[in-house]
Amino acid sequence: MVVTALALGIWAALAMTGMATGMMRSYVRSAIGIQTAHLQIHHPVFREQMESRYLLPEPDQLQTTLLSMDGVSGVALRSIAQGMVASSRGTRGVLIKGVDPGQELTVSTIGSKVISGAFEELENSNGILISVQLAEKLKVGLRKKVVLTVQDLSSTITSGAFRVVGLFHSGNTPFDEAHVFVHRRDLNRMLAAGQSGSIPGHEIAVLLDRPERAFPLADSLKQMWPTLDVNTYRQLSPDLQLYESQIGSISLIYLSVIMLALVFGIINTMLMAVLERTREIGMLMAIGMNRVLIFRMIVLETLMLSVIGAPFGLLLGAITIGWIGKKGIDLSSFSESLAEFGLDAMLYLEVDPQVWFQVPAAVLLTGVVAALYPAWKAVRLKPVESMKRL
Amino acid sequence: MPPIIETRNLTRIYRPDTVPVYALNGVDLDIEEGEFTAIVGPSGSGKTTLLNMIGGLDRPSSGEVIIDGTEIHDLSDSQLIDFRRTHIGFVFQAYNLIPVLTARENVEFVMLLQRWSREERHRRVLELMKAVGLEDKLDSRPAQLSGGQQQRVAVSSALASRPLFVLADEPTANLDSQSSGKLLDMMARLNKEEKMTFLFSTHDQRVIDRARRVVTLVDGKVDSDLVRDTVTPPS
Repeated sequence: MVVTALALGIWAALAMTGMATGMMRSYVRSAIGIQTAHLQIHHPVFREQMESRYLLPEPDQLQTTLLSMDGVSGVALRSIAQGMVASSRGTRGVLIKGVDPGQELTVSTIGSKVISGAFEELENSNGILISVQLAEKLKVGLRKKVVLTVQDLSSTITSGAFRVVGLFHSGNTPFDEAHVFVHRRDLNRMLAAGQSGSIPGHEIAVLLDRPERAFPLADSLKQMWPTLDVNTYRQLSPDLQLYESQIGSISLIYLSVIMLALVFGIINTMLMAVLERTREIGMLMAIGMNRVLIFRMIVLETLMLSVIGAPFGLLLGAITIGWIGKKGIDLSSFSESLAEFGLDAMLYLEVDPQVWFQVPAAVLLTGVVAALYPAWKAVRLKPVESMKRL
Repeated sequence: MPPIIETRNLTRIYRPDTVPVYALNGVDLDIEEGEFTAIVGPSGSGKTTLLNMIGGLDRPSSGEVIIDGTEIHDLSDSQLIDFRRTHIGFVFQAYNLIPVLTARENVEFVMLLQRWSREERHRRVLELMKAVGLEDKLDSRPAQLSGGQQQRVAVSSALASRPLFVLADEPTANLDSQSSGKLLDMMARLNKEEKMTFLFSTHDQRVIDRARRVVTLVDGKVDSDLVRDTVTPPS
């Protein structure tokens, strides 16, 4: 029974950890894919002020340098403006992202989130990509017109008419409702306020082949370009840092709770075993087995149960995580609620490598801790009382 | 030669603060090496308590227990356990054997506790199991042995580490007459051939008839101490 409880407990710990980690990783990956990329570079004041006049200097050179660096898989220049999108039925404040579709697809997954129309149609003049939620609020659809209003470089309010060329659904409702995408050329034209020459851009987004490269690369870029504002995805979105830092803690919490429950189960079982073997233990003490050996015997027996149960639990967990890690759990019936929190409807279980070591270690520790009280009870037995008679 | 077991004014009082019960009340007893002694008496006379005291399984309320010159009543619990392991063999009425171990492993157990080498243990196990006539049952578990066979394995186990003496509490109580006879024959032979000292607590007349010395306890005191010239021969 203890072996089964241990195996199921370990399986549950792994499955729950896998779910929590999968959910958090999914959120982080989604945020990186849709919002932040791995790194962003701005004018030092831009993120604070969000004004169009804070432009990046020599963005072409910056892009070329970045693309030559190890681990950089995509670089995209963006123009950014805060503004309004209006239809005949509604108005919303949005962040307007002016992108180069070809570059944007190398750093963002937004192209794959378009469910109607096509991301590439932004190449058409004055095309706009809005979210399904925003379209609903504005009561517009594909091919309908909306008006974007921004403050240009001379601080004049200016407007432009755009045709909806695509509707996207990222699964992150707050993001979807707050962002629209246009071609960078079209946004720059609005911002330029009649100035000659192209607008350089406000933001360079960088995607890397591995997220962990972001931090040393950011440090290098800060040294290389001390006048620019270089930020990793954790700095851009502190909730991502929170999620990533909590992944390890969450698995430990789940493990601790399950092991705590198991401890009591094991204590109960071993206490019963000591009770049932009172005479045997009394006999062993009578013939000369000292208390240290009795104590060790009980502890080892408990550990044996743990050692036998653990591999079964690990195997069950590995099968579950391997299978659901590939197939995923379809939570689309909860997709609206999940989207409010920026979570995907498909949940893939993930477990960090160190968890596979933490679990056996936790099981052994649990076994030892659980054994202490029954072992103490065993060594407290008096041979005469235990055996009733000599 | 001094006795291997001495008790001096041995007293054991249960519930001293309420209604005291004198399980033993000033017992003086000397057991020499090689004796085959039965402690007899009615229920409640103190037989088991006396064996518990001599075996170091219980502590006297007053008096002394001296085993081979050592005053065991002064030893700590840990010291008592060590002393029992090296000096005393036990045969209980029941629960002598560890159920999950084979006969061989049960006999080896005390030798393992004393860290005998593998060869020494092997040799001693074979020697003892042959002496008790169970050399073909080495790998049998207790559940596969009859009551008599279990007790014979228990005697082998008690003798395994060459103790100073063997304490046996009602060893034949759960056995039929044939098994009892075989067990007693074996113990008598070991007593004679190896000069092993046996001290029994018993109601069994067959044991009493085979004992060379019979100590009778009544109400915690030695009522009589009879040494015989002749005993009942083996069956």
